[in-house]
Amino acid sequence: MQLLDIRNLTVEMQTAHGIVRVLDKVNLQLTEGEIHSIVGESGSGKSLLAKAIMGFINPNWQVTADRLWWNGQDLLAMTPKQRRKITGRDMAMIFQDPNAYLDPNSTVEQQIVEAIPQGDVRGTFMRRRVDRKTRVKRLLHRVGIRDHESIMESYPFELSQGIAQKVSIAIAIAHRPRLLIADEPTTAMEPSTRLQIHRLLARLAVSQKMSVVLISQDVGSILPETKRLTLLYCGQLMETGPAHDILSEPAHPYTDSMLRMSLQTQQELPHKARLPTLPGSIPTLRHMPIGCRLGPRCPYAQKTCVKAPRATHDRQRVYHCHFPLLDSSS
Amino acid sequence: MTRYLLGRLSVFIIAVFLLTVFSFSLNYLFPGDPITNMSGIRSFQSSYPLMVELRGGDQNLAIQYLSYLQHLFAGDWGLSLSNGTPVFADGIQHFMASIELILLALLVAVFFGLPLGVFAASRFRQRSDQTVISLAMVGYSIPVFWLAQLMILLFAIKLGWFPITGQINPLYGVEPQTGSILIDVFLSDSEYKAAALQDALNHIVLPVIILAIMPMMLLLRLMRNATQEMLQKPFVKAARARGLNEFRVLVKHAIPNAVQSVLQQTTLIFSLLLTNSIVVESIFNWPGMGNWLIRSIFERDYPTIQAAVLMFAFVILFFNLLVELYHGWRFPIVRHEQYATR
Repeated sequence: MQLLDIRNLTVEMQTAHGIVRVLDKVNLQLTEGEIHSIVGESGSGKSLLAKAIMGFINPNWQVTADRLWWNGQDLLAMTPKQRRKITGRDMAMIFQDPNAYLDPNSTVEQQIVEAIPQGDVRGTFMRRRVDRKTRVKRLLHRVGIRDHESIMESYPFELSQGIAQKVSIAIAIAHRPRLLIADEPTTAMEPSTRLQIHRLLARLAVSQKMSVVLISQDVGSILPETKRLTLLYCGQLMETGPAHDILSEPAHPYTDSMLRMSLQTQQELPHKARLPTLPGSIPTLRHMPIGCRLGPRCPYAQKTCVKAPRATHDRQRVYHCHFPLLDSSS
Repeated sequence: MTRYLLGRLSVFIIAVFLLTVFSFSLNYLFPGDPITNMSGIRSFQSSYPLMVELRGGDQNLAIQYLSYLQHLFAGDWGLSLSNGTPVFADGIQHFMASIELILLALLVAVFFGLPLGVFAASRFRQRSDQTVISLAMVGYSIPVFWLAQLMILLFAIKLGWFPITGQINPLYGVEPQTGSILIDVFLSDSEYKAAALQDALNHIVLPVIILAIMPMMLLLRLMRNATQEMLQKPFVKAARARGLNEFRVLVKHAIPNAVQSVLQQTTLIFSLLLTNSIVVESIFNWPGMGNWLIRSIFERDYPTIQAAVLMFAFVILFFNLLVELYHGWRFPIVRHEQYATR
């Protein structure tokens, strides 16, 4: 059964220039234990999608969806309190800037202890204290921190970014969530730390049977273990499907350009050649193109692109384009 | 922590040094003979030549300053020019009476100001928040002397709940020993200790409340803004995302961090309390430092003026030192920001 099922999720923001549709009919399906990557440039609404799932919604946002189901339960029909309970129990999120998401005035130990569910520790007062401590140690070991003694007593400002991110992962997995949303967890990190965090996430997904939604800015920095991939542009879904298929044979012009732009996937770029980016820049919220929002920048765009393309289902993948690069007859 | 402690202590010691330099120079700035201003002994008295010798009156300024310091730390602050009693012994009594009032007022201010601030922040921009904040604005703007008179009119004269002025009814015959009335009642051998205590408490209620109102409102507003700011921080959002209920989020994360930023502004509260205490003591005829200072100014009693100024400044410095030490001890990030050490 599907763990998370999102159909036509739309988020509209009230701004000074009227209502802006920042997420436009986005679909997302997630099964248990799978790693799903969401890729898009800044302003594409990836973080917003994560926030809509977690329920961090500002009062001036309007969230509508045909379906926003978690494990068969309709999240949109719940009261905020019920929803907070479910998200608190089943979901967890880690962020780009881990130090800002840790309380600067409590130690790592205090913060992890707080995240351990009350029902997990039993016994007398002293027993519970000891038990909590061993659990904290175990969690730190699980995220790859060896010298637990010094880290447990540290305050967040004393930690490096990599360690802080590991600590926030430890906090996130303390209550054994079924879904972990990682919102650009490694964007500002050095490559070796990034690799460590990525390996950790992949391992946790397998060992804890936890689904991971990894949000990232470019195709090159997604996990190799990624099962499914979704590309967003300006709040519209461009392409979604099995990661391997998409990476080897992109159907959507946007996917194609993202792949060619990514330095990690691009090998045969001649010396001093221009990076093959799309012309133009990401539109601002005030000036969203009508129809397919990629239209003004798309090298294949034609007149029909002012109408939003319908979804094309091709085996397991779905793309929204009038002129896909795939020859669908083949 | 050692580094922080030493840093703060050295700042405190330098400030106290400058304070003594200032109070020493007052002897020369006040009209009249500096030796008289220091010791309270006039030039026609027979012990005057001895004083000149003791205080280094015929030597240079540095030696005079050193001997001034010697006398200061030995507790010999001279004699009052108006009634000839030792200034230091007098001062201690007035000091204790003031401190009693100020500490109680501070307690009341913290006890009500902080929770109300948190309450207002948690109801940000709702009606209850706006009510609390407008009341705080009103309370902060009312001049203390006027508020005191209004309260006396209402509670002491119209309703008759509290006495108008004074520390205690003199009929109980409580001897002033330390100066702090509540301690004095405990120390006294009166037969009616319980009744005397009740009477003393009854006397202290009005001045404490009036003195507490302004700092309370200031604290309330500081606390509301700080808590509100903390509630916007990412780590609070993360705590909410973990499914913690709003109360735990407030108590565990928002309030401690808000207190950290409010503590940095407590200097304001101490100076407010001390300056207001002068007004309140004058109105309630409370035998504290403020009353003492005002009276000595009217009487041109220079040794006493000097002592009162010294005490006021010292109290502010000392309270600030305590707050800073607590701040650094409780919130390691403060030490980290200032000295980059643990």
